[in-house]
Amino acid sequence: MVIMDDYGKFETAWCPGCGNFGILKAIKQALVDLDRSPDEVLIASGIGQSSKLPHYLRCNTFNGLHGRSLPPATGAKVANHELTVLAVTGDGDCYGEGGNHFLHTVRRNPDITMIVHDNQIYGLTKGQASPTSEIGMKTKVQTHGVFNMPLNPLSLAISLDCSFVSRGYAGNIPHLTKLIEKAIQHKGLSLVDVLQPCVSFNKLNTFKWYSERVYDIEEPGYELNDRVKAFEKSLEWGDRIPLGIFYVNEKPSFEEHIEVLESGPLYKNIPKTELVNKLIDGFI
Amino acid sequence: MATQLVKGNTAAVIGALYAGCDCYFGYPITPASEILQEASKYFPMLGRKFVQAESEEAAINMVYGAASAGHRVMTASSGPGISLKQEGISYLAGAELPCVIVDIMRAGPGLGNIGPEQGDYSQVVKGGGHGNYKNIVLAPNSVQEMCDMVIKGFELAFKYRNPVVVLADGVLGQMVESLQFPEVSVKPEIDTSWAVSGTPQTRENLVTSIFLDFNQLEEFNYEIQEKYETIEEEEVDYEDYMARDASIILVSYGISSRICRSAVDQARKEGINVGLFRPKTLFPFPKKELKEIAGSKECTFVSVEMSNGQMLEDIRLAIECSRPTSLVYRMGGNLITMDQVLERIREIAAGEE
Repeated sequence: MVIMDDYGKFETAWCPGCGNFGILKAIKQALVDLDRSPDEVLIASGIGQSSKLPHYLRCNTFNGLHGRSLPPATGAKVANHELTVLAVTGDGDCYGEGGNHFLHTVRRNPDITMIVHDNQIYGLTKGQASPTSEIGMKTKVQTHGVFNMPLNPLSLAISLDCSFVSRGYAGNIPHLTKLIEKAIQHKGLSLVDVLQPCVSFNKLNTFKWYSERVYDIEEPGYELNDRVKAFEKSLEWGDRIPLGIFYVNEKPSFEEHIEVLESGPLYKNIPKTELVNKLIDGFI
Repeated sequence: MATQLVKGNTAAVIGALYAGCDCYFGYPITPASEILQEASKYFPMLGRKFVQAESEEAAINMVYGAASAGHRVMTASSGPGISLKQEGISYLAGAELPCVIVDIMRAGPGLGNIGPEQGDYSQVVKGGGHGNYKNIVLAPNSVQEMCDMVIKGFELAFKYRNPVVVLADGVLGQMVESLQFPEVSVKPEIDTSWAVSGTPQTRENLVTSIFLDFNQLEEFNYEIQEKYETIEEEEVDYEDYMARDASIILVSYGISSRICRSAVDQARKEGINVGLFRPKTLFPFPKKELKEIAGSKECTFVSVEMSNGQMLEDIRLAIECSRPTSLVYRMGGNLITMDQVLERIREIAAGEE
């Protein structure tokens, strides 16, 4: 049986009170609840405060380039699709720098759980507006307030028919844990956008601000496979902010389209070198 | 004349504004973020354009667009961000467009850390992107030069229609020194002979780096090589600190050169005949001047750099390996120390080469 300590204990470089602590705890708890041992789990990240998270877990971890947690996660999943693969990223990392990778990973649908620390600000570089910063928010760069429309990751993912779309909140760890568990269990790309208060640089979207607004989407009659309804729900933002699973569409994952993986992961099926001789036949 | 205490990163923005730069496009990265922040404050204040882009690639392509329109454009970043911009820089060079790019170097490779280093030398001085092009590269070693070299950068960028990189490091970007503000403020004017600014005069102009005809592209490549030769003849700049009468010549640029200067003073007190040669332009590299020194007397050259001998190669090429060379270096985000340089000087002076 897997226990929390299996995932180690580390000192972190996050600010005291950061929402990232809640997300780290929820990820650990979800992996323990699902009885996934550290050797079965791979976590890839990009660059940002969010992307430091793999440094604080004792499992297979990968810290890559800014905006690019998803391509290496996809590569790792192709190399060994028996692994539970998580991609940990942030709003600047995934929706800004790596926006293109997000779109195409949704299209590809690998069996990866994306956890996006969405704090609506750049934390690592100390407080510039991010793609999800709200209109009017003042920062040291956006001194007159943000005027670009914020990106709505849930609406975007649903419009692309992402196979699992959800939102959690770093201030509600039990709820977030369950959400991550379901996301991991889902076969295909699952998006968990996590509202994450940044106590140092985002003075607008605080724990108090979120706590007054969030509510659980789960209600009788809410059909998880109703894409139009889910899209409508994803537009709700402001006085009330829905949390939970917005949309699920079961469909074949990327790995299932790769014939060679049917007989097991690549590391168990090292290609036979003599097969390259077949190549020459094609040229005759 | 006004003098103020400012950060190196701020000085770069002040230089840009006095140089008539009217568009800034950037993306945050430590230790260059203050350039973005100061630009966001001062560009709109002076009626100029500022955009925080969604990525470094977006920022350099915004530079490409605004430079095409004939504007005086700047962006800034640090190592990992400069790597991302390389594609755009190649296109800017290929389309012969002027712009200024400030690189506040940090330690690499990969993500590395935010400490100072000079490991971007090769990727900036040798081109970095694809194709047979060169950036003009200026290397400041003070807050004053952070400002002055951005101004000089715009002058050269427009004179040669070529990207100019101001190659600084984490210390120069972050440190505070007194800055004498420039006396002249350049008025930006659009050169309608090549820009595509949407006026009747520019309707025939075309900005592109594609030449489908092989012969045409070949001719263009030769033309830009001629341009680089002219730059090498006309624009070399350096500082000679007792190098011409020294038998040990330290060659160093940027923050390392400040440390070398102190080491030279100390070693001279000890009676060692040492001097400092500081390239202020890295392309064009002061090849002729170094060769002259090498040919004038028995001497030895020491490249002092915060990289793995990237500049040492250029020193050897410049002096055609006619004299002994060696390297004092440090990497990974820590500064070279004066003692480290002095130790090497003393070793050479004692004949322990």
